[in-house]
Amino acid sequence: MGCGVLPLAIPMNTSRDKLSETLQDWRVKPPSDPGFRAAVWRRIGQQGEATWTAYLRAHTAAWAVAAVLTFSVAGVAGRALAQARVEADRETMVVSYLVELDPRAQAILKQ
Amino acid sequence: MKHLLRTLFGLGAAAAAIGFMCYHLNSAPELHAAVRKGDAMAWLRADFNLDERQFAEIQRLHENYAPSCEEHCRMIQEAIQARDALRRTNGDDLVAAAEAERTLQQLRATCESAITVHVQQVAAVMSPEDGKRYLALVLPKIANFDHQVAPDLKLEGRPQH
Repeated sequence: MGCGVLPLAIPMNTSRDKLSETLQDWRVKPPSDPGFRAAVWRRIGQQGEATWTAYLRAHTAAWAVAAVLTFSVAGVAGRALAQARVEADRETMVVSYLVELDPRAQAILKQ
Repeated sequence: MKHLLRTLFGLGAAAAAIGFMCYHLNSAPELHAAVRKGDAMAWLRADFNLDERQFAEIQRLHENYAPSCEEHCRMIQEAIQARDALRRTNGDDLVAAAEAERTLQQLRATCESAITVHVQQVAAVMSPEDGKRYLALVLPKIANFDHQVAPDLKLEGRPQH
């Protein structure tokens, strides 16, 4: 059995040495790609977008309800604020107008 | 978490834009400008959709009314001074005090009638719808002067004409 192993071992060591030599001598010189980094970031970005889209798709109903409620509240609040300001300004102007017209107001002011 | 925050931010931004848009659609820039300038005639023109002819006619009515307004103002002032003088010098004379108060109230009632006639003339120059809205705004304040206008004057010290 020992006689069978030895002849095989010697060629194997030899081939390993050759492989080592080959690997040591091997130099990879890929052509430079100026768009490589940009392409990587683009792919990362596309992956992120896809993920957000997937997130929205997964929660469509919840976000749709939230959007309707939020937009309604925002619209009503904007309208109410504008109307409150219009009413307050109108009240101010009515009093200012009547002060100019009403002798009773003038009498108070001149006291 | 990143997607949740991004979605919340987007929703908030869209809601703010909608709120802002609704605010602007329902605001009255001419009215706010008139308030900033303190110009009651500009308010009248903007809020009651007056055209040039209507505006000129209302200005003419105001100018014609101004002398009687000043005369009423002078008479009311004199009546107030007479009443106050009577209270100071002869506080025990209840009959005289009541008479002075009655004179003052009669003058105020005459004045209220005059200003009511005047605003009705102004309303008649406006379109029927705007005239109705104008009267609905000013008549209650004229009728409730002591409660709605006088307190503002006493607190704010408005400028005199």
